[in-house]
Amino acid sequence: MSSYLITVATFIAIYAIVVCGLNVIVGFAGQISLGHAAFFSIGAYASAILTTKAGLSFWTALPLVILVSGLIGLLLGLPSLRVKDDFLAITTIGINFIVEAVFLYIPFFGGALGIGGIPRVFFFGMKMRGTAFFILCLVFLALVLIVCWWFTRSWGGLACFALREEEEAASSMGISPVRFKLLAFVLGTVMAGLGGALYAHYMRFISATDFSFPLSITFLGMVVLGGMGTIWGPVLGALLLCILPELFRPLANYRMLLYTVILLLMIRFQPGGLLGEGSVARKVFSFRLLGGKA
Amino acid sequence: MQLFIEQFLNGIAMGSIYALITLGLALVYGVMRILHVAHAAVYTVGAYIGLLVLHLTGSLFLAFLSAMGFCAFLGIVIERFIYFPLLKYPPYVPLIGSIAAMLAIEELCRLVAGPYILTFPARLPFPVVHLGGITISETLMAVYCITAAVLLFLWYLTTKTELGLAMRATSQDIPIADAMGINSHWIMSITFIIGSAIAAIAGILVGIYYNEVYPTMGAVPAYKTLALIVVGGMGSVPGAVIASLLLGVAETLLIGYANIPLPRDALAFIAMIAILMWRPEGLMGSK
Amino acid sequence: MTQPLLETKDLSKHFGGLKAVDKVNMKIYPGEILGLLGPNGAGKTVCFNLISGTYKPTEGTIRFGGTRTDGLPPCQVAMGGVGRTFQIVKPFGSLSVLENVLVARGISRYGSFLGIWRGWKTKSERREAMSVLERVGLAKLADRKARLLPLGNLRRLEIARALIVGKKLLLLDESFSGLRHEEIMNLEALIRNICESGVTILLIEHNMRVAMSLCDRIVVLDHGKTIAEGDPGSIQENEKVIEAYLGRKGKTSAA
Repeated sequence: MSSYLITVATFIAIYAIVVCGLNVIVGFAGQISLGHAAFFSIGAYASAILTTKAGLSFWTALPLVILVSGLIGLLLGLPSLRVKDDFLAITTIGINFIVEAVFLYIPFFGGALGIGGIPRVFFFGMKMRGTAFFILCLVFLALVLIVCWWFTRSWGGLACFALREEEEAASSMGISPVRFKLLAFVLGTVMAGLGGALYAHYMRFISATDFSFPLSITFLGMVVLGGMGTIWGPVLGALLLCILPELFRPLANYRMLLYTVILLLMIRFQPGGLLGEGSVARKVFSFRLLGGKA
Repeated sequence: MQLFIEQFLNGIAMGSIYALITLGLALVYGVMRILHVAHAAVYTVGAYIGLLVLHLTGSLFLAFLSAMGFCAFLGIVIERFIYFPLLKYPPYVPLIGSIAAMLAIEELCRLVAGPYILTFPARLPFPVVHLGGITISETLMAVYCITAAVLLFLWYLTTKTELGLAMRATSQDIPIADAMGINSHWIMSITFIIGSAIAAIAGILVGIYYNEVYPTMGAVPAYKTLALIVVGGMGSVPGAVIASLLLGVAETLLIGYANIPLPRDALAFIAMIAILMWRPEGLMGSK
Repeated sequence: MTQPLLETKDLSKHFGGLKAVDKVNMKIYPGEILGLLGPNGAGKTVCFNLISGTYKPTEGTIRFGGTRTDGLPPCQVAMGGVGRTFQIVKPFGSLSVLENVLVARGISRYGSFLGIWRGWKTKSERREAMSVLERVGLAKLADRKARLLPLGNLRRLEIARALIVGKKLLLLDESFSGLRHEEIMNLEALIRNICESGVTILLIEHNMRVAMSLCDRIVVLDHGKTIAEGDPGSIQENEKVIEAYLGRKGKTSAA
């Protein structure tokens, strides 16, 4: 397979992992997060620093990366979930800007030069590159999808669905809003962190400007377009929004315009997402969705 | 001391410009409960149209007028094509539409006018004022006076006219406003017209103030003004104005005096999040 | 003399200057059906919200089974065995009827960290949920999406959910409003049936006939204060009650 296709496919897989996380927060628990790119970056930087400055391997660093992503998700989620809806949207935007600024301006994180020389991932002595790395990402994606699937079948997931639909009624049934919103949030940030770690070891060089606010919007776009609250929606969304700009690459100058216009048209005419209820795709193909609901 | 006063005056000017941009956003949020991020694109278009008309006719007055007219039209298009049909969906749906629209419009500006920074050579017909050793340039005077005029107009409109009453009713409760014979959709459109026209004014003023017009000039105010309407209390115009002025002054003074290793945007957001933690409904919002 | 299951002492809730609930003393005994009546704006739903934990009292205490519950968040009050319905029905729209009921069943799991990872799509859970649905007469609609249901069935769904949660006390908020005659008869029978199985019920109701027929005792509120208490017969004759209801007609309503 051509290396160009593998590159695109790898990005799709990595973004799909991150967007699965956002789907847990937005689709399953009904919370809004416009700062998801921040947690993507936290995972990337955590893995980068642990492997370059502390000399750990990707695999030894991974549990720590997950821990750090979850912890920071917890710390930032606690105050954020005190505010609702639009206020929450603004707060998460703020988180994006602040995290980006921290990575950009504090010298420990490499400042504007970022962090380079991130080592490759080795698997039993074998260097993972190209197709091998893509397969590694697919394996992680599969893992993440299984966790999401399990989540939709668990009491915790059901509690989140209930919270999403009617918070007051849910809490009258013993569901603590703070607890479960946080649960979903942390799960989401952990997945984003995992994606970030993979991204860091793929690009082998990261800088804070890779993770700015427009990326958060792209992630949200992927969740919404794929179909929120479904299992496969994030994958489809990542596929779409990664392939579209590539398709328009030959159009060079008009690429961005076409991409944003299509995004606009999609959201205008299929706001439930391609896998969501009432969507054209659903009607045409009569999809059977595995768990989860829009 | 003199420096402090000069910086303070700059801060008020900054804040006034933020206020002009934020006003439109607050008005729209008030009636539609949508975060109209694309407002920043309308503002950018206003600057470009103003510049174009200035080049074509040499009249700053015509430039303002045509920019206001064009942006009003653009605002209606956005409202009718994107927001109104998406009202029944959860708020992030129109938000994504808004951001997509903003990016598309910015791209159009880039393709049509080029990615370069254009200059806005215009003299605003305002006097230079000397006050006890401080010189206030004609640009600053223009910003103060125009902002004050706009605020006065809005105050008069919302409190003394029937239209204003209808606008306030719609922003409180749409079904009841409808029941009272107010065509809420028309009110929304009119709000967009007013808000977008004010954005055009802001765009031209910024273009002249910094002598810069470029496609992504809307990016920074886009997110800051969002935070400003939230902190001011969603949809509260006085709150938005106060928050804008506070931000303008705080930013200018902080940059001048403090030496915090974080950029303006991050600091602005930190301050806003702090205020939200203290008052989750915003400075002038109601629970 | 049996101990009351729920007892409020000087319960008050002020919203700014408005005393929505003003020093209400109420006792509910195990196994009874207590009616909370009063004209619009009397403070009945506010009382419910205080008992269920949605509001914190401005003054006064609430004791449930001997322990103080005022100030506890709603999820904790629910875990103590208090279930409630809402005046404006709040179904989990995109979930099915069965899933709505399953959410309530999860109450025994939501508190434990390990419990929340266990699956709910098991045969035994479905069986248990179906038996509750049968009790309220919704078994045939188990797999329908909740938001497609008409009001009468939505009220039943509310009760089904509250029933699972409210093992000790059930708060029913105007469950009969908007129902047709036949539905009212069925619901009355259901509530009597629930009471017979040992659940204590506190209900707010505007339908006088239903209230008089179902309740063992009645407490009447007006302007946030208790104005009468007793069995249905004596309440109907009570002058203050009659004045509170009839005297309202012709005046602009408070709400």
